[in-house]
Amino acid sequence: MADARQQRTAAVRDVGASAGALVVGVAAASAFNEFVPEGHRPEDVLPGARSVVVAGNQGPTAGAWRSPDHRVMEITGYDFRENVAVHVMCDYIEREHGHRALQAPSLPTAGHNPPMSMMLAAVLAGLGTRSLAANIILHPRYGLLYYAALVTTLDLAPDHPLEEDVCPSEPCIQMYEKLGTTPCLASCPKDEGGCLDGALDGNGRISYSYYDRERCTSRSMNFGIGSIQKSLVQITTEDDRERRKAMIYSDFFSQSLSSLSYYKESVAQCFECMRVCPVGMHERRLQ
Amino acid sequence: MTVSAAASAPTADEATAARDRLAATMERGGALAWGVADADAFDEAPEGFRPGDLLPGARRVVVVGGSPPRAADWASPVHEHLETMGTSDRINSLGLKTAKFIEAEFGYYALFVPPGVRKGNRPFLSVALAAELAGCGSRSLAGPVLHPEYGLLFYSAIITTYPFPVTPPPAEPACPAPACVEMWEAEGATPCTRVCPLGDGGCLDGRIEDGRLVERRYDAARCTSRVYTHWIPGFQKGLELALDQDDPEARKMVLYSSHFTKTLWSMTYAAQSQGQCWECMRVCPVGAEFRQKA
Repeated sequence: MADARQQRTAAVRDVGASAGALVVGVAAASAFNEFVPEGHRPEDVLPGARSVVVAGNQGPTAGAWRSPDHRVMEITGYDFRENVAVHVMCDYIEREHGHRALQAPSLPTAGHNPPMSMMLAAVLAGLGTRSLAANIILHPRYGLLYYAALVTTLDLAPDHPLEEDVCPSEPCIQMYEKLGTTPCLASCPKDEGGCLDGALDGNGRISYSYYDRERCTSRSMNFGIGSIQKSLVQITTEDDRERRKAMIYSDFFSQSLSSLSYYKESVAQCFECMRVCPVGMHERRLQ
Repeated sequence: MTVSAAASAPTADEATAARDRLAATMERGGALAWGVADADAFDEAPEGFRPGDLLPGARRVVVVGGSPPRAADWASPVHEHLETMGTSDRINSLGLKTAKFIEAEFGYYALFVPPGVRKGNRPFLSVALAAELAGCGSRSLAGPVLHPEYGLLFYSAIITTYPFPVTPPPAEPACPAPACVEMWEAEGATPCTRVCPLGDGGCLDGRIEDGRLVERRYDAARCTSRVYTHWIPGFQKGLELALDQDDPEARKMVLYSSHFTKTLWSMTYAAQSQGQCWECMRVCPVGAEFRQKA
């Protein structure tokens, strides 16, 4: 019985990896109950949910990180392969195992809170831990990854949250001991108009972290849905026709529309806290 | 896939073998054509828009082509079909996949050239120039780079530091095709310049001498205003028109019109065609055989 469970879990992982997922992890659906309120648990999305499978993938290539043209990172195309992998695994589970499977809803349907947290799913599936840098989940090898998940009634063997924190990494602890800050905090300090603050305790663990989400959002989401909304407010309240026309055909509005379209452009434009993060940096160092 | 550790520079044999593996991967992913251009060959492009400006140490530009409208798309008598049937986004997915493959398998930087535009509606890198330099095809009187066998293809470019062997340009330019040279000699026009003549409200003109294209004239602004009747330019035009209406009912009609609705479809996830005029390509003999099926 246990072997069969392990085997079907391995098969699901293989399907995800074949479909382009860089990492695949599994969490028990019940593991969410301790951390999130009713209405945001896997069982609320799919009655009878037993497992959550999480797929992670890199966004920009190492070449994109290296480009001196900041606009490349602003609009570099994504393939959102983690979402594709999740759909392929869902199809596989329903077709081969006869169990229900759906993609976990990760976009807000009201307000700014998603029905299910992909960050929590990644942590519970043992793929990473929260960081000082905007709470981004860092994978121990790859650092920043993008995550998608599925919820299924199929019973799978769960992974477990990582026993060691990925953040802070050793160089960050050393830097904190000498300078009282870390690379990410130094790149975007709250007290100097930035978004991040935090502290480490004597054991080198995060004892306090602060993240100004509104400030970060207004800087990192320069294009995308937010900028369309911002532009439309300005355009629709502009009474002068010529000025309105200039705003509609401006570079900024054109690029905002482009980011919304099917080019799959980046929806975030500030990567500075991740650029200096040592976790996963070696994966971005190529020839 | 995982990124392998950086290794020493590849030998010529290793680089050739690597290019073969890359080609096999691209072809499995749906590429009809591919090629490799020297990153230093982009002199024609202005500074700031060359491979090395986007990726320091750039050595090659890999170009992958494919995803044209299918034979059935061309054959459909419903002209709105080609207006709304998008296929080009698949080549962008393949481009990014190719970039990731290069980094993961060979340990060299690879930058997928974003398909969007930089400031002033300029592309980051001319993918058409890259396709030409990579030997995927040649420039045409009608504008697009024409592959000798497939004609019009969509292209994606990847700048890399890996020194893949460069692929040579085609021995003969695809345009003008022999049939077009004959027509030019007989009538002073080609199928594409006939269907959209610059001197008669169209966009194209040119000259052929000794069977070679020696001059090309193209009204880009006029063509753009006709080709991009939907998508982002269509949205901007519709929005301007709607807001210029003083009457709320008239504004409502513009916003709910079929044109504005189609425009919203074309720029969102329906992945619809960006370009709506295909007439110069419809009559082009290059790739015509590929566009014909039983």
